[in-house]
Amino acid sequence: MTYEAIAILMFASMMVLLMTGQRVFGAIGFVASAGVLLLYGNGGIEVPFSQAFKLFNWFPMLTLPLFIFMGYILSESGIAEDLYRMLHVWCGRVRGGLAIGTIFLMVIISAMNGLSVAGMAIGATIALPEMLRRGYDKILITGVVQGGSSLGILVPPSVVMVLYGMIARQPVSQLWLAGVLPGLLMAVMFVVYVWARCKANPDLAPTVSEAELNMPMSEKLKLLRAGILPFLIFFLMTGLFVMGFTSLVESSAVGASAATLAALVKRRLTWRVLHETAKKTLNISCMFLWLILAALAFGAVFDGLGAVRAIESLFITRWELSPWTIIIMMQVSFIVMGMFLDDTAMLVIVAPLYVPLVKLLDLGFDGTLIWFGVLYTMTCQIAYITPPFGYNLFLMRSLAPSEIRLVDIYKSIWPFVLMMAATIALVMLFPGLALWLPQAVSVR
Amino acid sequence: MPNAIRTYVRVIDRLSGYVGLVAMYLIFLMIGVLLLDAVTRNVIDIPLHWCIEFAQFTLAAYYFMGGAATLQNDSHVRMDLFYEGLSDKGKARMDVITIGCLIFYLVVLLIGSISSLEYAIDTGERRFSMWNPSMIPIKSLMVVCIALMLLQSISILFKNIAQLRGEPIT
Repeated sequence: MTYEAIAILMFASMMVLLMTGQRVFGAIGFVASAGVLLLYGNGGIEVPFSQAFKLFNWFPMLTLPLFIFMGYILSESGIAEDLYRMLHVWCGRVRGGLAIGTIFLMVIISAMNGLSVAGMAIGATIALPEMLRRGYDKILITGVVQGGSSLGILVPPSVVMVLYGMIARQPVSQLWLAGVLPGLLMAVMFVVYVWARCKANPDLAPTVSEAELNMPMSEKLKLLRAGILPFLIFFLMTGLFVMGFTSLVESSAVGASAATLAALVKRRLTWRVLHETAKKTLNISCMFLWLILAALAFGAVFDGLGAVRAIESLFITRWELSPWTIIIMMQVSFIVMGMFLDDTAMLVIVAPLYVPLVKLLDLGFDGTLIWFGVLYTMTCQIAYITPPFGYNLFLMRSLAPSEIRLVDIYKSIWPFVLMMAATIALVMLFPGLALWLPQAVSVR
Repeated sequence: MPNAIRTYVRVIDRLSGYVGLVAMYLIFLMIGVLLLDAVTRNVIDIPLHWCIEFAQFTLAAYYFMGGAATLQNDSHVRMDLFYEGLSDKGKARMDVITIGCLIFYLVVLLIGSISSLEYAIDTGERRFSMWNPSMIPIKSLMVVCIALMLLQSISILFKNIAQLRGEPIT
């Protein structure tokens, strides 16, 4: 059998196995181990295990469980309720003010945590019921929570970028900085969209009654105190890191402790909460880490086959595609695959093929792999919320009030998918959107 | 199902649970040691070079020790395109066949880890760093945890078979 045939066989059998619904890490690990034994005989038997030490040496991976822990603690801490009350009063007079306030809330949560789960949980349990009670259009606000919470992986800190950094061998701090402007741009688009929709059709978002907003300025200012704790957490975590006092992994530990302290200050911290949080953290972290371990083995075998060179010769030599066509094809394939695959699984399967190819392409600017990381993260956001399989879709269904049906959720996301696609297009047209900040900081 | 199998399932499930419980609390150890590093370096100006490395070891122990427990409570992501549509019995039937893949992968990992541990013992392998710790403890732990995951997968297989025979083990 030729190497190409083996590569295709491995890929195809993995897809079939995934369809059976067996645990993804088991399916990938099986194909990798079977492949390595077929190719190298007994000499290859240590390959799957030795990936554990490849993973071991990638120390930014330490941030993964810590951010997951932090996300769960944050959603338990009660910080979000206070923030939401503040945004509610301050944005109340604007058309669609509560929905816009929700987007702001999502951006703040995103700046404190690296996953979309925290924003999702907070949005669906705190913001949604409140807006429904006030007669906001349920399709509009479901979309707001879906789109807004997905910013969690684009605005630093971002766990998805830590994973991408491992596979593409890029510095995590640069990737994070690269996500800032595209993330804010996307948030601005969401805000403008909500405002314009509500302006055009006031029925979507009834204004809050005067009586509720009519409070003395001193009261209003007092509400701003809700911002103090999030700001402190953000400063301790990202501030100390950017100023060079803490390293990347230390700052995630600082963030996790700060969130725990905040929960303590708010009197929300009990032994039960701590225990449950530790349990959920273990479950999610193990899921991620075993998946990565299996996928690293798969990647090692695939590498050995020269699959990358095969794709390279197919794309560049045989089809004579221009660099930009290749980048666009990659994005489209990410979005299509993202509909069916979990984003981590997608990353670990595809990135070993795509990343070396991207490195080869001459796009006319430096830092292509950092830029590609931002593009990848945004396609992940789309993958999170597109039917039939988006993590967020199902999570939303299980967290949101029962009057929001799966059909409503499906209907609600399209404008947000379009805006995300528009941001991707903008970042492709103007790579500086992603690259300016990391370059400015590294120059200093 | 024979009593021996019921006992096996009960013992292994409980064992996975206990090991998982220990793993769960390792997160606090990771947070603690990283904070210690940040504080000693910035506040009293004593850099502790072993902290990050210690945390890396803890992370490895964390997900290896959590492996069996998360298999047991079914936390690992599945692609549920078709799987979700199956009845409980259909799921069990599918799993009886496909769990063979998981078991195969774990066996390959187990053989690899044992041979890697033998190498570490024979050569007295140490990690190349300032701290220079021995690799034998973590590798031994990994061997034990992979073995436990294997035992746990077999326990899951038994549970699936029991369900297909209409006498589920809980």
